[in-house]
Amino acid sequence: MIGWSGRRKTLTILAFIGPMLLGLLIFNVYPIIFTAYISLTNRNQFHPFPDCTQIASRLIEPTCWGVTKAQTGLGAPFKVLEPFYANYTDLLGQFFTGSSFLNLLRIIACVVPLIVAAQVNKRLDRRLARPISSGAVWLIGVASMVAVALALNLGGAYKTLIGTGDFIGVIVQTVLFVILRVPITLVVSMTLAMLLNSTYLKGRAFFRVMVFIPWAASSLAILIALIWQFFFREQGTINQLLSAIFGIKGPAYLAQNWWALFAILIADIWFSYPFLMTIILGALQSIPVDQYEAAEIDGATSWQQFAHITLPLLRPAIMPAIVLTSISAFQMFGTAYAMTAGGPTKGAGMPGFTEFVMVYAYKQIFQTQAYGRMGAFAVIIFILLFAATLYSLRMTRITKGAYE
Amino acid sequence: MKRRPAPIYIVLQYVILIAAALFAFYPIWFAILASGRLGSRLYSLNLPGMFLPTEWTWENYRVMLLDKPFLTWLKNSIIVATITMGSSMLIATSAAFAFSRFKFKGREVGLIFFLALQAFPGVLALVPVAQLLTSLGLYGSKLGLVFAYTTGTLIFCTWNLKGYFDTIPIDLEEAGMIDGCGPVQSFLLIALPLARPALAVTALFGFLAGWGDFIFASVLVPAPDSAKMLVPALMGLANSMSMPWGYFAAGAVMVIIPVAALFLYLQRFFEAGLTMGGVKG
Repeated sequence: MIGWSGRRKTLTILAFIGPMLLGLLIFNVYPIIFTAYISLTNRNQFHPFPDCTQIASRLIEPTCWGVTKAQTGLGAPFKVLEPFYANYTDLLGQFFTGSSFLNLLRIIACVVPLIVAAQVNKRLDRRLARPISSGAVWLIGVASMVAVALALNLGGAYKTLIGTGDFIGVIVQTVLFVILRVPITLVVSMTLAMLLNSTYLKGRAFFRVMVFIPWAASSLAILIALIWQFFFREQGTINQLLSAIFGIKGPAYLAQNWWALFAILIADIWFSYPFLMTIILGALQSIPVDQYEAAEIDGATSWQQFAHITLPLLRPAIMPAIVLTSISAFQMFGTAYAMTAGGPTKGAGMPGFTEFVMVYAYKQIFQTQAYGRMGAFAVIIFILLFAATLYSLRMTRITKGAYE
Repeated sequence: MKRRPAPIYIVLQYVILIAAALFAFYPIWFAILASGRLGSRLYSLNLPGMFLPTEWTWENYRVMLLDKPFLTWLKNSIIVATITMGSSMLIATSAAFAFSRFKFKGREVGLIFFLALQAFPGVLALVPVAQLLTSLGLYGSKLGLVFAYTTGTLIFCTWNLKGYFDTIPIDLEEAGMIDGCGPVQSFLLIALPLARPALAVTALFGFLAGWGDFIFASVLVPAPDSAKMLVPALMGLANSMSMPWGYFAAGAVMVIIPVAALFLYLQRFFEAGLTMGGVKG
């Protein structure tokens, strides 16, 4: 900007961003420091109170600041563990055992055929004449994936893996949920966006409003999820429909592992597809029509137009949205909490089959009050999500403006 | 695509669209139907009753509005959500303008740093925030909730608005500056009016942060009944076994319909106001 510098500039900028910095410092930075400190201690329901004579507790623990009277109670105050990373080794230790590694390898091995198929297709695309169509390659890939999964007993590997321990079980369950939810959401929103973008269909404005509704409801996800829970109850809408039309008695969906996961998937897809759909619709409208006209003259089929014009041009717009949906799927709380509250149970004291990361954290804070362990849990999740965020930034370059 | 496909495909496309519209609308429609039915009859439905309003009574609404403290909860939530929206807009617009227009040291680092902070999920900050508010004497008060929500939405709002300010050409402000506009005037008089779509969308998300939250509202204001926020209070209603489900449905409909109306009204702003920011809350 023109003609102002020095102290006046500093003061103006501070006036503009100062309130934000202050707010973030108190309510965002401070909780992270606090959590990182607590994660090194043995704080739990037996040692809930700080030792205010300790310098670290005196500085970080709000109850030591003397605004209100410091809490005291029975039991020794919590203290830093010996060694200080004990909570972390406790959580991650379950992961670095031979058997869980082996199970993880078995699961990863099932994905290998798909990766090979993608690579083979890429190679073949470079040749002038393909000896085999891309669809056939994918078919072989999927078939060999199913074969590998059956040979390695994928279900058994998953079952032992989520039974290994709280932390690893919860993480693996959440990752499975993300892997299932994001692609389905993408297909649903892509289909709807393409349809809503075709000019020859009548009543597009009406359909656009209708399919947009779940986004409006998603801000109150936890209330609508209760309605979804009602559909899937043993006496709920779906089972009533089944018995009225086909005379079948449906299962109690939310009490059975995979049915419960399925129900949460359906409900959460309902909440999340309008966001992706809106992004894709916006990107579709920016693709110039003459590209398709040129392809038409060259005799390209609709599928070829989709695969070679639409998809590559949509990529830059959808990739960041996909990463964001994945992160928000990882952090999903309301749907699972309202529908199953984490259940069905896997055993006493263990997180349930649909107990995803945030549901687990929320329940742990109230049930066990193991703040120290939860602190370590929070720090690890934070690092994972932070890495995902940075990766999405690199892919999307939404920071492009910041680097200019 | 310009070419008109064969009729069979058009029929197929309509079938998909109609199915999607039913899928999208049915849960809301079901809530509306359930809100007009007395609780005990919810389980013994006939088939048409699940899709059409075969019976209708205002009894659930009457109970919610007159016998239950619904209006108090509504008032609490409106107060908290409105103040959250106002304060986060006030703080975020000025910060976003500064990050978009001024060149200063630490600007790039700051923007990345904010996104890093965003990666720390709200649930996991619950304990420290609760302790902090307790020691400030704000635990259980609306002001404490407003603090938590405002700071929770700041990063999204700032990034979204900054993305939009970046798309507004700076020429106008430079012209204003030649005519003697300071940075504050050019912010208030030139940039803000031009950013209206982004302001509308961002304000809506700020409002919803306070309106729809369950986690903070349930922990930071647990009691008494009259101080509760809408969402945890309605969750409590739905979870208590003795309560007819119709009451919950009536409450949920009254909470959701205004928000849905607002969303649909602002829908035309969504593509313009959101895609540029590139960050979802």
